[in-house]
Amino acid sequence: MAKTRTDLMQGTLELLILKTLASDSMHGYGIAQRIHEVADDLLKIEDGSLYPALYRMEERGWISSEWDVSENNRRAKFYKLTRAGRKQLAAECANWERVSQAITRILQTA
Amino acid sequence: MKATTGRLFNHLDRREIERDIGAELQFHLDLLTQEYLQRSMSLEEARDAALKQFGNVEQIKDRCVEISKRRHPLVMALKCLLSILFVTGAMVRIVGWDFHISRCGDLLMAVSILSWALLCVRLNPSRFFPQHDTSFTLKLTDQDSFAVYDQKKRSPVERVISR
Repeated sequence: MAKTRTDLMQGTLELLILKTLASDSMHGYGIAQRIHEVADDLLKIEDGSLYPALYRMEERGWISSEWDVSENNRRAKFYKLTRAGRKQLAAECANWERVSQAITRILQTA
Repeated sequence: MKATTGRLFNHLDRREIERDIGAELQFHLDLLTQEYLQRSMSLEEARDAALKQFGNVEQIKDRCVEISKRRHPLVMALKCLLSILFVTGAMVRIVGWDFHISRCGDLLMAVSILSWALLCVRLNPSRFFPQHDTSFTLKLTDQDSFAVYDQKKRSPVERVISR
């Protein structure tokens, strides 16, 4: 059986992080766990790749961070969505829907 | 006041940035190791598995430091200064009543543009001197392509964003 190892579109990781942070503030490990859990481990994310993405998103003002104490009483950096991040999430979701619909249509007609 | 000043000086300290990033990545690695230990692995196996799942720690740390440096208050101040220098140069160039004075305007503009370019290269080395960077991987796992869709025909990404 042919194996698939498909690179996903650029910006998808940011979209997943934004969506994950929409409900609650989380540290990097929590974000990675949530994505693995919801995607049923079908998405292969090197956990570390979240961090450059998180730092870029913070630079763009989509998320903010602060150090706090985690559930296991250790100092951890928690990220939360900003107002600009919520707007970005809405825009990214709409964009994803558009692209997804376009690809589905092409697949159905081809 | 003391706390605010302390925070400002901490923020200006590059080593502090590196230490914070190191602590953040270490926290993640420790929790991953703990997760693998709970799956009855030995400590060494758990550490190896955690490192494998995490990716190239040093490369990731370098990328994070690089991005953080771009937000450094000193860098922001330098950018402001260069912008002011450029605008001043342009003004001098426009209103320069004398050939030598307008040449000074040109010089100011040239210096600010060159400094800006150098700053950009210095702050974004990975963009100007690209290396093989494995810190941006997001892939579907090695499975039959149809298996990644659930019963509602949603892809893994759609599953995450539809929650």
